[in-house]
Amino acid sequence: MTFQTYDCLQMLPIILLSLSGIALLFLGFQKSRALLLPATLLFLVIAFVANFLDWGKTYMYFRDMLLVNNLAMIFTGVVLLSTFMVVSLSGSLADDEDAQPAEYYAILLFSLVGAIMMIGFENLIMLFVGVEILSVAMYILTGSDKRNLRSNEAALKYFLMGAFATGILLFGIALLYGATGSFVLSGIGNYAHSATNAGGSMLLFYVGMFMLLIGMLFKVSAAPFHFWTPDVYDGAPSLFTAYMSTVVKTAGFAALLRILSVSFSGVYDFWWVAMAVVTVLTLLIGNITAVYQASFKRMMAYSSISHAGYLLIGLVGLSQASKPAIAFYSLAYSLSTIAAFGVLMLVARNRPLNAAVFGDQTTLARTDEHYDAFNGLARKNPLLGFVMAVSMLSLAGIPLTAGFWGKFMVFSAAADRGAVWLLVVAVLMSAVGIYYYFRVVIAMYFREGQTDTIRVAPFYRIVLIAATVLTLALGLLPNLFQGLI
Amino acid sequence: MSPHLLCILIPLLPLLGFVVNGLGFRKVPTSLVGIVGLAGPVLAFLCVCLLWGNFHAGNDAVIKTTLFDWISVGEMHINFSFQIDQLTMLMLGIVTGIGSLIHLYSIGYMNHDEGYGKFMAFLNLFLFFMLLLVLGSNFVIMFIGWEGVGLCSYLLIGFWNTNTSYNNAARKAFVMNRIGDLGFLLGIFTIMTTFGSVEYTDVFEQVVGMDVNAPVILTITLLLFVGAMGKSAQIPLFTWLPDAMAGPTPVSALIHAATMVTAGIYMVVRANVLFSMAPLTLDIIGGIAIATALLAASIGLLQNDIKKVLAYSTVSQLGYMFLGLGAAAYTAGMFHVITHAFFKALLFLGAGSVIHAMSNEQDIRNMGGLRKSLPITYWTFLVGTIAIAGIPPFAGFFSKDEILAHVYEHSKVLWALGLLGSAMTSFYMFRLLFLTFFGEFRGTDEQKHHLHESPLSMTLPLLVLAVLSVVGGFMNVPEVLGGHSVLAEFMSPLFDQARQANPALFEANALDHGTELMLMSISAGVAIVMAVVAYVMYVRNAAVPAPDSQVRSLPQQVVYGKYYIDDFYDRLIVRPVRGLGDAFYSLGEFVIDAVVGGVAWSVRSSAGVFRRAQSGSIGLYVLLMVLSITLFIALRFFNWKVFN
Amino acid sequence: MEGFFMAFYRMGWHRTAANYVRFIANLRSFLSLLSMNTASYLPSDYIPIFIQLSLALGFIVVTMLVTHNIGPKRHSVKKDDPFECGIPTQGDARAPISIKYFLVAILFVLFDVEVIFMYPWAVNFMQLGQEGFIQMVLFMGLLLAGFYYVIRKGVLKWE
Repeated sequence: MTFQTYDCLQMLPIILLSLSGIALLFLGFQKSRALLLPATLLFLVIAFVANFLDWGKTYMYFRDMLLVNNLAMIFTGVVLLSTFMVVSLSGSLADDEDAQPAEYYAILLFSLVGAIMMIGFENLIMLFVGVEILSVAMYILTGSDKRNLRSNEAALKYFLMGAFATGILLFGIALLYGATGSFVLSGIGNYAHSATNAGGSMLLFYVGMFMLLIGMLFKVSAAPFHFWTPDVYDGAPSLFTAYMSTVVKTAGFAALLRILSVSFSGVYDFWWVAMAVVTVLTLLIGNITAVYQASFKRMMAYSSISHAGYLLIGLVGLSQASKPAIAFYSLAYSLSTIAAFGVLMLVARNRPLNAAVFGDQTTLARTDEHYDAFNGLARKNPLLGFVMAVSMLSLAGIPLTAGFWGKFMVFSAAADRGAVWLLVVAVLMSAVGIYYYFRVVIAMYFREGQTDTIRVAPFYRIVLIAATVLTLALGLLPNLFQGLI
Repeated sequence: MSPHLLCILIPLLPLLGFVVNGLGFRKVPTSLVGIVGLAGPVLAFLCVCLLWGNFHAGNDAVIKTTLFDWISVGEMHINFSFQIDQLTMLMLGIVTGIGSLIHLYSIGYMNHDEGYGKFMAFLNLFLFFMLLLVLGSNFVIMFIGWEGVGLCSYLLIGFWNTNTSYNNAARKAFVMNRIGDLGFLLGIFTIMTTFGSVEYTDVFEQVVGMDVNAPVILTITLLLFVGAMGKSAQIPLFTWLPDAMAGPTPVSALIHAATMVTAGIYMVVRANVLFSMAPLTLDIIGGIAIATALLAASIGLLQNDIKKVLAYSTVSQLGYMFLGLGAAAYTAGMFHVITHAFFKALLFLGAGSVIHAMSNEQDIRNMGGLRKSLPITYWTFLVGTIAIAGIPPFAGFFSKDEILAHVYEHSKVLWALGLLGSAMTSFYMFRLLFLTFFGEFRGTDEQKHHLHESPLSMTLPLLVLAVLSVVGGFMNVPEVLGGHSVLAEFMSPLFDQARQANPALFEANALDHGTELMLMSISAGVAIVMAVVAYVMYVRNAAVPAPDSQVRSLPQQVVYGKYYIDDFYDRLIVRPVRGLGDAFYSLGEFVIDAVVGGVAWSVRSSAGVFRRAQSGSIGLYVLLMVLSITLFIALRFFNWKVFN
Repeated sequence: MEGFFMAFYRMGWHRTAANYVRFIANLRSFLSLLSMNTASYLPSDYIPIFIQLSLALGFIVVTMLVTHNIGPKRHSVKKDDPFECGIPTQGDARAPISIKYFLVAILFVLFDVEVIFMYPWAVNFMQLGQEGFIQMVLFMGLLLAGFYYVIRKGVLKWE
């Protein structure tokens, strides 16, 4: 083996992100925290550029462990963009005495490495390593608000449930290996094809497949494996909730898409009904429970469940078209969700009343994240109102926003497969979704409330505007993005 | 610069102006608002000039620019692309040229208004959509522009939105346009299903081989014409245009006289291949057009509001344009669009100048003798009046005469009716002129004291437009008078396909020169006679129209009441629809409340179950997860009946 | 059993019965599949494992039984008290312990385990050659960077 075959040097984003994470840890020893945020953003930009260096080519890296192609680059681009936006909304961390921004940023970058592995894995070992890197990072970040009981509780819950799901995932991988003798996706796919044709029992394979899928469905919070989601999303600091509900979900769906399309497309008939049932359950539970939330943040948690449902529709209608559909949906969903959490953080931070009056905020339900907190927001803060309104419209799938086209593409992928009943449920549930998304809009524009003008840092403002503009641009010109894939 | 870049820049520049003035409303300083607002149209006009050079250098070959693939649904691809040909060039010239002048005028007219920045932003936005409308290379882009200009029209009619009746006028315009738009949209859908494309070139190529008066072509053209009825104010959808005068005067000049309302004519000329294949539709257009022209002109005879007279005159002139199209004289129709844009914009701006001087007085019964205090306005208004009346050698004479000549070839009855309309036009326009500028001043002393000529930014556009109204007709002097019909030659390639598709329609039964000269002299003579009649009535005898309170004779009453068409619509359509709405509302309230209530109840009860599961206890969560995993595997593997 | 279900069948409960039969059949195929995959091994090949297993279990059981039974048993209050280095017990056994203990413990495990990677590398040092060396340097570099981070962070400071 010589230096020429040192192919890992081309696997730039993973290496760059790992190294820059370490660099950030050491940057944290600096007295001033001012440098951390720009440095993180710079690293992310470099990784983003490096990601697209290989555009148009297809490579296998690390002895066929990781695949890089255009689709993987698109997904990686989406998670990098989402992280960039989340990080740029984190300016207040530098002022927080208890926070450890250097470590948080480093963990975010490390977790991205996991996400990228999940996006491009060719070997189930890689999938497992990626899932673990991402999950462990999330456990930590969920509990990062150390003085807050709810944050601690959420972290512990997430860890316990996550460990349980990881066990199932690992069990599935083991069974698959037992059945097929291979960890490689294409190897498993070949087995599925040949064994189906040859007849005979494939029970071990099927059980393994189910276990693996259930493990992954847990990670993307599909019902009935979603129970952790509301508690964890609600308990975690909003910044990391935004990260979890976008990056983790995108990576999870990229992984599901990959394994379903490469390994299990040969046995589509076997799994699609089960997946469809999961989809319907997810849509029902996510949307209907979201209606009855008083807290905006908790509503967003259920909303993320319901969006997992819509994304699952794209998987149920698995075809060539569902790849760009899921990528587009992830992007649209990430943009709106991050913008919405960005506004939420501003609003919640500007309501110091609760902590002052009730003192101990650890036991207090966070009323500053309720719908009421948004009352009359748009009057004094038209920009924030507009950003939030566009995000909500996009999440609800109203035309002229990116969310509409995301839903449209995903639905048409399923319609091609003839899953009409699934679409009926999905469309009904989108109608339910409009109700709870519009509650915020109504609160902002039509309710009376005593909101002062909220000071927004320039960069924060730019990111919010950029997300909104991008949402609208993708809504008007979906083909701009589609053309890439 | 390359033509492609120019094509993109032309609509983009006004859009930029809109963004700056619109987002920066109340923040951009007043002095800058005008500059920004004016820069867009003027730069766009320069781009149009450059583009014209490019177009000419390329031997008038059609230029197509695709910006991006916009919508792809199945086999259907709709590009966001622009097409530059003779028709587009003409419209671009009118829209940006007259647009620039009117923007300049608006700076003088509106800069004391509180919503100055907003106004300029809306005007710029209008220009953007209008340019999109004429630039688009397919029906869908045209439709975007079509809807966009409708929106801007709505916004600008109701610009002074504290006045309820202005808002109602805006709403009326919008609703009537929506009715037309529906027809237009259905037409586009029919085109899509019939030809599988909306691109002009694709569609027209396929049309050429089809039968004349084929049902599908008739359907398409009639639907498209419904759209044109709404936008270009033809019977029965014309009543919104007079009401639209609620908007500021520059709006009336730009949108409701020079550009937007001619979109219908543009559309018909653009789709001339389709319309030529449907002579039946052309006949219907001709019938509706002459009815509109006469009806509007007759209402105009007795109106006393300076802008209302001009509005009815616009409706009537639009009727003339469609009359020309109905006789398959597309060039003549476009020619009238151009000259009309010159002199009607001039007249409206002149009226604006008068209203400005009279402190927002619009009733001509309270004016009179203004020619001394407003000399420039007077002279330019006079030019405009002569031009619209059709007195040679001003612009209106040539264009109107060409239409009438073509109509004469087609049907002598229509020609006679057209001549009658022309006579009425001449009369009411000179009546307007004389009542406003001649005789004694009839307003209050305060108004008299305040009288002043408008600033340069307002008079300069008047002068430019006056010059254009004088010389505009020379671009298409017929051969009889020693001209070369330059415009007709220029536009001729546009109609090649139509000629190929339906040669019978264009068969030359050209008039001999004698007849042509005779027709010209008749119409010019009629116009001059009516001008003299008006002079005798309103200057020599100094008659002043009666105040509203006076009792009128029945025919007068009917015309003065605009034939009660508005009341008729109100009784026939608005009230029944409202009644139906009420009925549906009360019924719907019951049924829908029951349905909604039921749904809400079931959602609430199921949410209760879901929420109870979300107790926060990990033990329960894991138990539920394990149960569901077991259930899934059990159902999937041990009982095939459930899922398969 | 079979007879029992046949009686069910006759009574008209055939649907339930049929499902049950199908269940059994599926279960059987599941089990047979498990054994199919390991068909290359004979049952007798597992004998050593069973011997090992029974020895291990037997040892534990025997020692537990023997130690409980051969010694004398005298109970007293003092004797039954939890015994802690001769000092009287204080408070609950679940009292919070300084996080430092855990940190040190986990760091110990971490660095201890990492060293394991060095053994196979050292054994195959020559065969792995230059590339192996570079990989090891990278690995150690990262490890030492972590170590440096831990020290700078003051994790090992005991005050």
